[in-house]
Amino acid sequence: MTQPLSEPILVFDDVYKTFDGVNYPLRGVHLTVRPGVVHALIGSNGAGKSVLLKLINGTHTRSKGTVKWLGKEVHWTSPGEAIAAGISTVPQHAQVAPTMSVLDNVFLGRPGKLFNASRLRAELDALMARIGYELNPDATVDELSVGECQMVSLMQALARGGKLLLLDEPTASLTAHEREVVFEAVRTLAAPGIAFVYVSHFLDEILDLADEVTVLRDGQVTLEASREDVTKSSLVSAMLGKELCQSENLVPELSPDGPAVLSVSELAPLGNLGPFSFDVKAGEIVGIAGLLGSGRTELLSAIYGEDPKATGTASIGGVETARAGAANAVRAGMALVPEDRNRSGLIGEWSIADNASLAYLPQLSKRGLFPIPLAQRERAEEAKAYLDIRCSSIDQPVNELSGGNAQKVVFAKWVPGTAKLLMLDDPTVGIDVGAKAELLQLVKDFAKQGKAVLMVSSEFEELLSTCHRIIVVAKGRIVAQMQAWETDLHEVTELASGSAGQPQARRELTCI
Amino acid sequence: MYLTARLAQSFKLRSAGVVYALALIVGLLTLLSAAQGKPFYLSVLNVQNILDQSSMIAIMAIFMTLVLITGSFDLSVGSVAALSGATALSLLDGYGPVVATAAAIAIGLVSGVVNGLLVEKVGVNAFIVTLGTCTAIRGLVLALLDGHAVSPKSTFYYDIMSARPTLPVWAVLLIALALAGFGGYRAFTAKTWTLASVVLVGLGVLLALLGIFVPDLFREVTAVWVLLVLLIGSALYLRFTTMGRYLYATGANTEAARLSGINTSRYKIGVFIAMSLACSLVGLIFAGKFNSMDPNSLSGTELTVIAAAVLGGTSLQGGSGYTTKSVLGALILFTLSNGFNILNLGSNYQYFIQGIVLVAAATVYTVAGRQKKHQAVMVEEPISA
Repeated sequence: MTQPLSEPILVFDDVYKTFDGVNYPLRGVHLTVRPGVVHALIGSNGAGKSVLLKLINGTHTRSKGTVKWLGKEVHWTSPGEAIAAGISTVPQHAQVAPTMSVLDNVFLGRPGKLFNASRLRAELDALMARIGYELNPDATVDELSVGECQMVSLMQALARGGKLLLLDEPTASLTAHEREVVFEAVRTLAAPGIAFVYVSHFLDEILDLADEVTVLRDGQVTLEASREDVTKSSLVSAMLGKELCQSENLVPELSPDGPAVLSVSELAPLGNLGPFSFDVKAGEIVGIAGLLGSGRTELLSAIYGEDPKATGTASIGGVETARAGAANAVRAGMALVPEDRNRSGLIGEWSIADNASLAYLPQLSKRGLFPIPLAQRERAEEAKAYLDIRCSSIDQPVNELSGGNAQKVVFAKWVPGTAKLLMLDDPTVGIDVGAKAELLQLVKDFAKQGKAVLMVSSEFEELLSTCHRIIVVAKGRIVAQMQAWETDLHEVTELASGSAGQPQARRELTCI
Repeated sequence: MYLTARLAQSFKLRSAGVVYALALIVGLLTLLSAAQGKPFYLSVLNVQNILDQSSMIAIMAIFMTLVLITGSFDLSVGSVAALSGATALSLLDGYGPVVATAAAIAIGLVSGVVNGLLVEKVGVNAFIVTLGTCTAIRGLVLALLDGHAVSPKSTFYYDIMSARPTLPVWAVLLIALALAGFGGYRAFTAKTWTLASVVLVGLGVLLALLGIFVPDLFREVTAVWVLLVLLIGSALYLRFTTMGRYLYATGANTEAARLSGINTSRYKIGVFIAMSLACSLVGLIFAGKFNSMDPNSLSGTELTVIAAAVLGGTSLQGGSGYTTKSVLGALILFTLSNGFNILNLGSNYQYFIQGIVLVAAATVYTVAGRQKKHQAVMVEEPISA
């Protein structure tokens, strides 16, 4: 399928991007995309993938370097110009209007005043015939599965007449079957000459689908090769860099040999993930290494009792928590620092003091009923000092705080406190390096007090440097479980990037 | 420094708008009625009248505020009150006051449970659920009364509701002394004047002055005393109990509250039950006031009640609101209608003016709230890419 001699459709030559004149998320990037080629773009978090995508689709404008589209240098300043030129983006989460039909969605935003349904219907039929995929044009989008929505999003991009399609992690939330459908469509479309830039965390997928690969690390291209010349291992090395892979385990610490605080047995979040079985001992920090969509968040939520569909058990100090609701979990001694702190961790308009005393309010109250303002303030001051929260005063509303300080307030709800198990869901997302190190130190201190920690992160370096034990999850299953000192970043990345489901026979999957 | 900042904060338009509005309206009406040679607007008699007229709406506004704080909505209040009152009056002669009252309370309990479960457990939109129960329960009232008014021979409720219990001057002074003393004691032990201490002493002094100079003000109908007790109770509940804090947290960010270990469902259902029970009480007050009820009694009150809460600055998004301010909001609405009567402007323009006042208030709150948000954004550190 590779057509190495065809003229490149898009060329990035020595492109730099900066937002503040100091930091360069992209430094001298080269990228060559040819028609009919699936060009994979990979890199770990913060490598510059999304900035590069946004340069391609016109959301950002480059700071330096040349970008050529169909041989001519271009200076796009808005997504509209890129779309007009023939670049369409299929976002990670399909952006569709759920109450409208498939037909309406595919042609959403098409210029022209009249809506000629019969003509569009014919056009949609032709489109579906082209990619070998069938959907009822009159089905309402909210009746569709996630994968079908993704296909609608793909067809929407095609209907705009794209010559280049940008796929941003299109399979993160799909089942194995749905993933195959998307792959098949990509292959079918690439054959007659449409180019794809395909961003994914899943290396198995890349190896399965891509014709060419570009690897980014720290804003630079570390590898540009065709599919035949790479292996999973060489991709991981290019993503991580050699020096990092070796200087992994700073302090090889064994798991402490304490009694189990949390026991998870045959726990199946949403009833169909897992089942997960593991213990977390007193004083132990266990890391869950998994990518977005690996079931890591669902696992924490099931342990916390917030998943009514979960089957199996999770217990802490003899109290069963699965399906029993968060209030029960908190009473039993669990604490959760959720993934999205603004949506589920904090009350934005409330002060630091009020947020920090929310979870343990009865302990700060007379007879558990009448809050003592002074006790609340004392706790907040204590937490402020202990966690080094930088603020004008503890009366400052938390929505005025920076990411790192706001996250510390979420910690302050539980630490210091009586919780026996602290569960952290990607606790360092959107936090600067300094605050990140402080938070991880706090987690270690917490465990040193003989408490248990279960920590989810997509930054595996962070897990390796903090945790005693690592559980790797991918596509809703445990794929490996090991002591942190036994493994390294390379191995964890490789394990977590594999798609657990076996590639299924393709012929039977072409249509639904 | 801290105190002055808090004082300045509480005098801002967003915080104290309803107080300014009430003062403005009362002042205007006093001047206008004086100019027209009418009796003194703020006479004890007229103030008693306004309080009497607004008591039922104000009681419902207190509980509506609790519902709104959790981010919900209840449109069924007028119908629930009407059914409770009509049932009680229908049963009074045949079965006596105990059964009649129990039936009224049971109606409130059942409708509150139904509303709460449908909204919170099943997840149907609160607006739709309570619009439905509002209509259905009004249908029951129509069926029960079958087009006739019900007027029992027994005057059990009438006797209670038309009574004017009086708080003697010495009791007023005692309460005033207790308030001021407690405020002073708090300031003395904390070695600083907090807003709460200042308010307590201020209230004590005001109460003492009123008790000495206008003792008749403490001779009110039963409903007003009921309102006062519920108002103080609810304000203390919201301000000084963990449950009050949890109620605000539930409305401000349900998910964050739930993940912090708060049983948010309990609060969301609880406020519906409390609301409907309060409606039963209002139904009994109405029944007692007129000793009669017709099929359309109390219809449309839900909108007045919500208007009162909104005038008091309660956010429909949940997470904020004060029962005291909602009661002031109710007083504004009834001061306006009372003023129109006194000035002989007729009631034709009454709804027009009430509507304008409501929209104006909501606009002021929204704009003032937006300015505050804007300031908050300005303080935020720039996000690095």
